[in-house]
Amino acid sequence: MSEKVSGSFRDPSGFMFKHNGQLYRQVNQKYREEYDLLMTSGLYNQLTKSKTLVVHTEVDLELAPMPEIAYKVIQPDVVEFISYPYEWCFNQLKDAAILTLAIARRALEFGMSLKDASAYNIQFQQGRPIFIDTLSFEKYEEGMPWVAYRQFCQHFLAPLALMAKKDIRLAQMLRLHIDGIPLDLASKLLPGGTRLNFGLASHIHLHARSQERYADKEVSQAEVKGRISKSAMLGLFDSLLSTVRSLRVKTIQTEWTDYYQDNNYTEASFEAKRQLVKSFIEKVNPKQVWDLGGNTGEFSRAASDLGIPTVCYDIDPGAVQQNYDLVKKNKEKFMLPLCMDLTNPSPDLGWHNAERESMQTRGPVDLVMALALIHHLAISNNVPLVDVANYFADLGEHLIIEFVPKSDSQVKRLLASRVDIFPDYSLNGFKKAFEEQFTLKLQEQVPGSERTIFLFTRKAQF
Amino acid sequence: MQNLFSIISKPELYLDPGSGSMLIQLILGAVLGLGVVVRVFWKNIKDFFTGGRGKAEEAADPTAVTEDPTRILAEVDDTPTDPKL
Repeated sequence: MSEKVSGSFRDPSGFMFKHNGQLYRQVNQKYREEYDLLMTSGLYNQLTKSKTLVVHTEVDLELAPMPEIAYKVIQPDVVEFISYPYEWCFNQLKDAAILTLAIARRALEFGMSLKDASAYNIQFQQGRPIFIDTLSFEKYEEGMPWVAYRQFCQHFLAPLALMAKKDIRLAQMLRLHIDGIPLDLASKLLPGGTRLNFGLASHIHLHARSQERYADKEVSQAEVKGRISKSAMLGLFDSLLSTVRSLRVKTIQTEWTDYYQDNNYTEASFEAKRQLVKSFIEKVNPKQVWDLGGNTGEFSRAASDLGIPTVCYDIDPGAVQQNYDLVKKNKEKFMLPLCMDLTNPSPDLGWHNAERESMQTRGPVDLVMALALIHHLAISNNVPLVDVANYFADLGEHLIIEFVPKSDSQVKRLLASRVDIFPDYSLNGFKKAFEEQFTLKLQEQVPGSERTIFLFTRKAQF
Repeated sequence: MQNLFSIISKPELYLDPGSGSMLIQLILGAVLGLGVVVRVFWKNIKDFFTGGRGKAEEAADPTAVTEDPTRILAEVDDTPTDPKL
């Protein structure tokens, strides 16, 4: 049984579909010439050898769900976990932007043009960004402008500029504007000083003005044909590239980045906690791990260092960025750091609420970890323990969770400025709440602390 | 259906490039393209004397194939066959 993948409907060149649980792409007759050019020009080889385009194999055409218009059926390599631009830290979005431009420029060298510069075409695989849309290339016609210029500016340049020049939290605008941030809006929000920056002045401010001015004028492809030379195109790519490269966020010192220097653990008990977590992970032997509230990935690495693909979620973009920088520096392959507010996780978004999946839809996973997190959900966010347990049971089969008692200085701090309305927040109350959904497998106190780590397994659901 | 997915014609633009976005490109392209021409000209002169190729530029390009095949193989060998061991 074949099933079309929602979110893959815009491009008439082809579409993604699932067959017996495997992911395929139908390439339509319409795209025949371009597909053949991609494969024979050397561009495909160049990009897959540099591991910047997803590798695919051609499979039986019989699998095509719409055979009357099918040219090929291809099977792309599986991307471990699909993430979205509004879940990336600044440097992840920046690397994705640099890759998109590098591919556009490289394509030109092989006589092709990148027709689609959507940020959703980039995924993080083995610690590196990779382009996943094989059908995004078309034959380059000398003299034609770059059709994806506006899209690139909306999806990459505008959010990066807003994050770097205004406020890092504006990354969340991408969750609202899933086709990128409108340039007139970006232009209004950016500080006036950015008009003195050549790249931002031209690609955002002037660009937005030009859009406004010619909004109701029709300019046909034929009219602009022959008006922009190949070197002009290269100049455009280079200018975008240097503008993107020059955007930086200062070392992000946000809420949690110095957490490990300021917590309840001595070095010895910190190491003991790591060993404890590692031994629990080995008992579960999971295929994939989600570490919730994982900060800079200190304990996620207990899983990813074992070769287990691990997604480390944290609410703090500074911590996520530190983690990502570390992944890059050490060329780690099994760690994916992402920004996520667990009290308001990524929802199903887009057309039919099905283009971009919610965090939960992308699960469940074998193992969920929630270390030093429970007090933030139960006390700061007032979520009853039973509801926390229900949510975690939806996300994964096994759960490694740390209970932080009221006597802990971190919890004391949370309760210092408010009335304690949490009579059930105790070790016994916690166990009682979680044992409704889970079976307790292991329980160990972290040496040298008042905290306890539990291993739970979800009860069979009928 | 046949009309929607006409087999003969080339893939049409499915992305609206936007009139303003195309026109600003023409202007920026003219200016920036000139820069590229000048830069290539200077680079050629420099390369003539130094015999060098823009290695730094190539290294910063993620789509450049820099690794020789033996290094890629070594990388594969590094991956533990059974990470749980």
